[in-house]
Amino acid sequence: MLSSDIQPGQGEQQGTGPEILLEVRNCSKSFPGVKAFNKVDFELYAGEIHCVVGENGAGKSTFIKMLSGALRPDEGTIIIAGREYAYLTPGLAHQLGIQTIYQEISLAPDLTVAENIFMGQYPTKRFGLVDYGKLREKSHDLLENLKIDLDVNALVSDLNIPQKQSIQIAKAMAMEAKIFILDEPTASYSSSEITHLLSLVREVAARGIGVIYISHHLEEIFSINDRITILRDGNKIATHLKGEATEEKIISEMVGRDLSMFYTREMVDVDYSKAVSFKGFSGGDIRDVSFDIHKGEIVGLAGMVGSGRTDLVRLFFGADQKQSGTVVLEGKEIQINHPGQAIQAGLSLLTEDRQKTGVILEHSLKWNVSVVNMANSSGRFINERAESRNVDHYIEAIDIKTPSMYQEVRFLSGGNQQKVVLAKWLYANSNVIIFDEPTRGIDIGSKEEIYKLMVQLAKEGKYILMVSSDMPELIAMCDRVIVMRQGEVVGEISRQELSEEKVLTYSIGGVL
Amino acid sequence: MSEENNRNDRMSRWVNKSNRSVYYLLGILVIAAIIMTFLDPNFLTQRNLFNVLNQQSTLGIVTMGVAMAMIAGCIDLTVGNVLACAAGVAAIATAKWGLSDGLVILLACLVGLLAGIFNGIIVTKTRIDSFIATLGLMTVYQGLALIISDGNNIYLQGRFGWFGTGKVAGIVPYPVVYFLIITIIVYFVMRFAKYGRKLYAIGGNPEAAFLAGINIDLNKIFAYSVSGLLAGFTSLIVISRIGQSQPAMGVSYPLESIAAAVIGGVALGGGRGTIPGVFLGVILLGLIRNSLNIMRVPSFYQYVMLGSIIIIAVTLSNIGALRKSGSSS
Repeated sequence: MLSSDIQPGQGEQQGTGPEILLEVRNCSKSFPGVKAFNKVDFELYAGEIHCVVGENGAGKSTFIKMLSGALRPDEGTIIIAGREYAYLTPGLAHQLGIQTIYQEISLAPDLTVAENIFMGQYPTKRFGLVDYGKLREKSHDLLENLKIDLDVNALVSDLNIPQKQSIQIAKAMAMEAKIFILDEPTASYSSSEITHLLSLVREVAARGIGVIYISHHLEEIFSINDRITILRDGNKIATHLKGEATEEKIISEMVGRDLSMFYTREMVDVDYSKAVSFKGFSGGDIRDVSFDIHKGEIVGLAGMVGSGRTDLVRLFFGADQKQSGTVVLEGKEIQINHPGQAIQAGLSLLTEDRQKTGVILEHSLKWNVSVVNMANSSGRFINERAESRNVDHYIEAIDIKTPSMYQEVRFLSGGNQQKVVLAKWLYANSNVIIFDEPTRGIDIGSKEEIYKLMVQLAKEGKYILMVSSDMPELIAMCDRVIVMRQGEVVGEISRQELSEEKVLTYSIGGVL
Repeated sequence: MSEENNRNDRMSRWVNKSNRSVYYLLGILVIAAIIMTFLDPNFLTQRNLFNVLNQQSTLGIVTMGVAMAMIAGCIDLTVGNVLACAAGVAAIATAKWGLSDGLVILLACLVGLLAGIFNGIIVTKTRIDSFIATLGLMTVYQGLALIISDGNNIYLQGRFGWFGTGKVAGIVPYPVVYFLIITIIVYFVMRFAKYGRKLYAIGGNPEAAFLAGINIDLNKIFAYSVSGLLAGFTSLIVISRIGQSQPAMGVSYPLESIAAAVIGGVALGGGRGTIPGVFLGVILLGLIRNSLNIMRVPSFYQYVMLGSIIIIAVTLSNIGALRKSGSSS
């Protein structure tokens, strides 16, 4: 055990300690191939702010989904207000006073602040007409009480995201919720907006509400927590009281996954005389990102979910509008304003969400594999024979398991779908290959095949960039890792210095 | 790859999912024809069959364009009113300006083409849902058709009749020939040209198509322009047959062409469907109408039945799509 569970007020308050709002006992949840949540115990007291931290994939979202009723635990119990439940449904969670506040706002944009706060419980006059006077008055009182400085008659669509989020919190208060779950509430906030939100959360907790606060930002967590629970690989590692744990201790508890079982790659001689340079990329939430990849090098792009990695590679590829940024490939500057130009210049982008942006599910494997080459090669007609020959070649070369090339892609497994995406870009014969989460959600066997292929490509002198949230994968595969945080590059780590602590410290905003 | 595998591949190519609806349709057509032959011996005569083909030729040509747009994920509701506009221009060019038949044909096609390009630009640049955008444009063209003809029928004064009523060797009506030639061209474009494959990709998954370097807007505009062009061309057949243009003609085309395409296996959301299927869909719709006529079902009732068939066909195709999305997630 790394640390024992310590309950607040142990000793002097025994027996009359704070009320337990929520208790999770021995909860587990498995998905095919992963134990996402493993025998976790957790308590939440009235009036406390309980922060939950962990790497990508540590089990935070599984936890939230179980509490909000979106997922059922395989085993264990959830105890709320003294009653035991084997699982919650969204309706039940709502009834029990659990409110999850996401960044994607669930407010009605065309209604006023007051109408949103008391939605579904409007005060009424005779004939069921809404008593707007009373509604405004109640809303005003509530906002004043929570020290939220907003006009109750303002339209929600006119508010900015932090303001909308405070309205969501007020709405949850109006529904008399007991347990608030805030999932990454401050992603893309400015520092004054963060301060604002944190003080609102404190106001809420001061009224006896239990808050589960999930964040990737250490400063935030240290400034607000009453207790911190650390998750890793679906296990609860420790729960610390405020002030009891240092930054280094928390990071050391978040890392520590077993790397010995992991893939060992063959090293490739990198040609440092040749490079592709991405210079001064800005646009959306991305601010002035520059780095090089050398010939034969595999560069990792790390960072927490929401740090802007996918946005960045989409800018590189011309898929989103950029404000600035140029690509220089082996000394030649190339113009990229849309994906067609990127492909012509020899770039590939294997997107993160296979089914949404990678494959065309209802089309055959053949059509999927050939689409990039078809759309970007010269000529008006399709040479069916050459196409079949090439598709056949890739099916064999990367071992896609399919009854035939005419099989619709939706009938293939996740791993094989990913290989179809891979085959499509190999067929396009690019020099610079960007992999965005190439192994997410696929089985170990296919993962290793994809690693092998990446090394093979590096050997052939390609430039490889790999976005990944899988720490062992980054450490095993990359010659160098670049870390992003809030749309900026915050660190660069060479293979010799590469460690989980380093990557995590950079991504979470800690001090090295 | 071994010989046997090769044969399996070829088999699965022809019997794979997207072609299956073609076989279903063929089966239904054969069964329907057999039933009709029992009900009325006149059904299976060369004359009646050419009659059905001839009747369906105008809808068929329009449907080829509409189906291309649908495969790219775009609905085109303007075809009927674009047809009326082109008809008005062609009739004026014939009767008032006295242009030669060749120029009239070019002019009608040009009107359709320009309307199609305009539709494509509006749909892609405004990013309005194509159904709503073309619903609005449909009314615009309705107005234009009235403006062009000043609200009147324009008579061709006996000219241009050959175009829609002539027959090759005294047997095959010209419109049937146009229909078959256009079907074959569209088939080749959709099957072997990159244009066609791009339209399928755009309809199948626009985001994936975009990231594969396909210019979505340009190709959609292309699809709309073909749809408009074919509507313009069809107007010539229609005015030639009835000897006049009417500003309110063509109103049934948008719905019937979408119905024929869906019956033929084109997915309402795009990405799927074959031209042989669309062709059979058009024929099946014609056969149903022909059968109802032979059985002397009054035309008021025919509308009700036709509408019901359309709803049923679209519902069935949607159920298929729902099951698909269920199984893939």
